[in-house]
Amino acid sequence: MKNSSLLISLLLSGLLTIVSCSPNDSKTPSTDQPDPVNVGIVLPLTGKHAKFGEIEKLSFELALEKVNAEGGINGRPLKLIFEDTTGKPDIGRSAAEKLITQNEVVMLGGGYSSSVTAAIAGVAINKGFPFLVNTGSADIITEPTAHTPSGKKIDRLKKSNKSDDITTKIAELTKKAEKEAESILSRYAIFRLNPPVSEYANGIESFLAQVVKPQTAVILNENSLFGTKGAASFQKTCARLGVRVLLKESYDQGAIDFKPILAKVKDLDPDIVYMSSYVLDASLLMKQSMELGLNPKMFIGGGAGFTLPEFYTAAGKAAEKVISATLWHQSIPFPGAMEYYDDFAKRYNRETEYHGAEAYAATFVIADALRRAKSFSPEEIRDALLKTDMETIFGPVKFISYGAKVHQNRLPTYVVQWIDGKLTMIWPENLAKQKYVYPVNWPEERK
Amino acid sequence: MELLLQTLVSGLLKGGVYALIGMGMTLIMGVMGVINLAHGQIMMVAMYITYSLFAIFGIDPYLSMAIGAPTIFVLGAAIQRYLLNPLMRIETILPENQVLMTVGIGMVLTESMRIIFTSDYKSVQVSYSNAVFFLGGVSFSMPLVIDFFLAVAMTCALFWFLIRTDMGRSIRATAQDKEAATLMGIDTERITWITFGIGSAIVAMAGAMLLPIFYLYPDIGGPFTRKAFVICILGGLGSTVGAIFGGITLGLAEAFGATYIAMEFEDMIGLVIFIIVLLFLPGGFKRLTGV
Repeated sequence: MKNSSLLISLLLSGLLTIVSCSPNDSKTPSTDQPDPVNVGIVLPLTGKHAKFGEIEKLSFELALEKVNAEGGINGRPLKLIFEDTTGKPDIGRSAAEKLITQNEVVMLGGGYSSSVTAAIAGVAINKGFPFLVNTGSADIITEPTAHTPSGKKIDRLKKSNKSDDITTKIAELTKKAEKEAESILSRYAIFRLNPPVSEYANGIESFLAQVVKPQTAVILNENSLFGTKGAASFQKTCARLGVRVLLKESYDQGAIDFKPILAKVKDLDPDIVYMSSYVLDASLLMKQSMELGLNPKMFIGGGAGFTLPEFYTAAGKAAEKVISATLWHQSIPFPGAMEYYDDFAKRYNRETEYHGAEAYAATFVIADALRRAKSFSPEEIRDALLKTDMETIFGPVKFISYGAKVHQNRLPTYVVQWIDGKLTMIWPENLAKQKYVYPVNWPEERK
Repeated sequence: MELLLQTLVSGLLKGGVYALIGMGMTLIMGVMGVINLAHGQIMMVAMYITYSLFAIFGIDPYLSMAIGAPTIFVLGAAIQRYLLNPLMRIETILPENQVLMTVGIGMVLTESMRIIFTSDYKSVQVSYSNAVFFLGGVSFSMPLVIDFFLAVAMTCALFWFLIRTDMGRSIRATAQDKEAATLMGIDTERITWITFGIGSAIVAMAGAMLLPIFYLYPDIGGPFTRKAFVICILGGLGSTVGAIFGGITLGLAEAFGATYIAMEFEDMIGLVIFIIVLLFLPGGFKRLTGV
């Protein structure tokens, strides 16, 4: 009796050791390759922004192959772990937290839309975790002061539209916010590859000043973080150029009929119509403008929806000669830009655009920083990112501080025009592939 | 004045399509007592069928309804017969669970379409996509005008079917009192899946009508489910006449809201009316008209 129980306990303990050993045993012989370095990428792979998430994911993967072919991270392969945000800030937040705590990634990338990226930035700030933003464009993402209690108060104050001297109050709060920001600044590890939305229209601004010279403008925008901030910064552009803004209206993404609002615009008869839209609302806006016979001197898109290949397919002739701000074009003479464009087309049998280029370039920036980092602790990766100075297909990358911003890569923005169904670079003039078409005879173009 | 007329026309034309979307949902609601929260997703599947027929065979979206609507009828009938009715038979499962089931079905439909067609934005360009005519300075979009009259025709056909045919009478009887209908010898279970099929086919046609003027991606269903739901509540759950009023009201409210308040609040205006109706006229327009 005693013997048998001893035997059983011996057997059990033997089993336990086998069980506890087995994972290691099975691992050691099979992995001749060293462990991969994990990086978490958060993207909208489902939901209304899924199209952009897809372009970015494919571009990340394309770049990843190159990085690993070049030897990965000092001999260890780089591995990207993708998480879906469905385009919603709360889900993006939990996806980021999951990647950090469960997958134990060494840094984060991606984000896509401004609102989701801002939510993930909150997580990254709390943990002092490195996060390379490549698309989210709201200015606050690289402004530490905006994430302090006083900074949030300023934002609320600005939104409240109270006229009674908020300027002194804001100045007061700004000082306070700067002081508060000092505590998070030392571990602020958010870096941004792409220009913030307030600079999207810089290229457009000089084009308007030198070519179109408008007197009046109408601004229509989607009521998302990207849309509102883009419209607000274009309003400032107008103020600088002395252009009178006759109407500024926002709309909900997904509307079928824009005619009421466009009829209102037609009544006002502005020189230019500036529209900022994420997706195919852009094509509906253009199609219905054509149906109403709305003919300003120029239609201007604020990036995103207006540079998608699908924009032209959906809007057809209504898209002809429309100009848009853009952050990248394959014809820009950055090393590898055209090669990436061709590779993408060959591999996936479709066209890419600036969002893909951002993701592609971000992969190389991540790999470069990880190669130089002394260890994979958040502090060391942050230090390595700070010292980044490299050439990518998206332009030179160097993270600097200016104004309220820190860790921001500064790049020019460009202007493109749909000429004969092709998105063509027209501004700045020294980079232009073709001369811009202006003035435009809209009824003639749309025949 | 011109602006007012343009707003009125835009609202009315859009309302016609909305009415058609709402009618499918309200029909299903009336017979099954179940809100079909996969309604918009079923429409999205129909739009993909229309799109594929156009892209591969070049079939006009309006003509492809003849193929799309029956296909979706089969899909809808199968959903009811093999996925929803089995839930109904088990007494311990509350009817609410059927609603949850439709949510799940909606997700499966969305993701299946994403696997097949990816998340790319699709659109159908036909020669008359951008055709317009003007009446006294007011622009009428050709496809929307066609849609409006088709919606009217469809509504008339549906009423004729419900009032004049045996099957229609059986559907109405089942909606009024299921047990009594069973006692009168109506196979109510068969009626449920036929109704679900018809409701789905109607929204499939609405989808085909929208395609020439709108665009398409897998997640487009959700917002339309929401719109259909608002229309049903406005019109009174289960009331087909109510759905027409509900659709036109929503279309007009959105258009006037966009012109005179702000387009930003388009969705909000619909939902505010939704709340007002729930508070002051629970039961919707059905209470006023009685049908």
